[in-house]
Amino acid sequence: MAEDLVLDTAIRDWVLIPLSVVMVLIGILRYFVSKLMRSSNQVPDPKMVKEGQVIIRARNLRAAANYIPAKSFRARRVYFSNEENGLLYVPKGQAQNAQAQMFSDPNMAMDMMKKNLSMIIPQTLTFAWVNFFFSGFVAAKIPFPLTQRFRSMLQNGIDLSTVDVSYVSSRSWYFLNLFGLRGLFSLILGEENATDDTQRMMQMSGFGFDPTKSLGAEKDSLDIFQHEWALPKFEQRAEAVLKKLVS
Amino acid sequence: MANLGAPGKTDSDITDELPTFNVENMQNNAKIIYYSRTFMSIIGGVIAGILGFTGLTGFILYFLVMAITSVGLAAKAGFSVHSYFDGWNRIILDGFLGGLLSFVLFWTYPYDVS
Repeated sequence: MAEDLVLDTAIRDWVLIPLSVVMVLIGILRYFVSKLMRSSNQVPDPKMVKEGQVIIRARNLRAAANYIPAKSFRARRVYFSNEENGLLYVPKGQAQNAQAQMFSDPNMAMDMMKKNLSMIIPQTLTFAWVNFFFSGFVAAKIPFPLTQRFRSMLQNGIDLSTVDVSYVSSRSWYFLNLFGLRGLFSLILGEENATDDTQRMMQMSGFGFDPTKSLGAEKDSLDIFQHEWALPKFEQRAEAVLKKLVS
Repeated sequence: MANLGAPGKTDSDITDELPTFNVENMQNNAKIIYYSRTFMSIIGGVIAGILGFTGLTGFILYFLVMAITSVGLAAKAGFSVHSYFDGWNRIILDGFLGGLLSFVLFWTYPYDVS
């Protein structure tokens, strides 16, 4: 029963294209709105910045540790992970405090909530709009065959069970657009402002614990690190190179 | 394609047994790879849709386009991959499947429209 439905041009004009256009426009709008909202309250917390910089320093030390002699590496490491006044050492009580403070700080919480909302609301609205207007008919045909299990997912508004799974409803067209336009956004909006909702949400949920835990993590990895002096024969090599240059 | 050459050199100097990497340049190069792949997957999608490929043929076209992108990137880097990237894996495999969704979207489009 593989009938070959030909899609009406009316469907094409009034469903597929407007939906894509609307999604692109909403994406661009969201990008500008988030840029505007972000610049308003951008007072970075000095303590957080300091912690971030310390982490970067420790990471640099680990990355380039093989180029400095063993003794100086050890000296630097002690500076970082010393029990009393080492930079990376955070006593347990204080660690918990920073976390709680992060969430109860009204500014920060509002900021995160605003960002989350500005991500979720347009998506929800668009989805509801699609469901309301564009349900109950075949919207598009996807060019590759899928198994029967996807039928319930892709053909949500269509009640015929004999139609090929390649014919999908507009809801699945919405989702296809959602994922496919991510790449397009990263191209036209420049850099990674590619309204990557899922990634952003994952980052947001892990944000509160970031500073305190990562300090401990850095300290541990610094402690574990094995120093290997990578330039032991350096004088000989320098001599060889110079000889080659001179002769 | 963006200018791979000028800010691209990642190596340090004489120490050719220990590759050292300039992180900023590496990130820049990685970004360029990402953009190139995304763009090519979109173009490839449109081509697949216009030519009316279905099913497996279309995916073969996707892999072909990715391979062409890899070769193009390698050629742009003058085939001395090690002075611009971590190694061959970076230039060949990175972001391989990332463009798949965009490809499918832009493949479905002309397939339906025509």
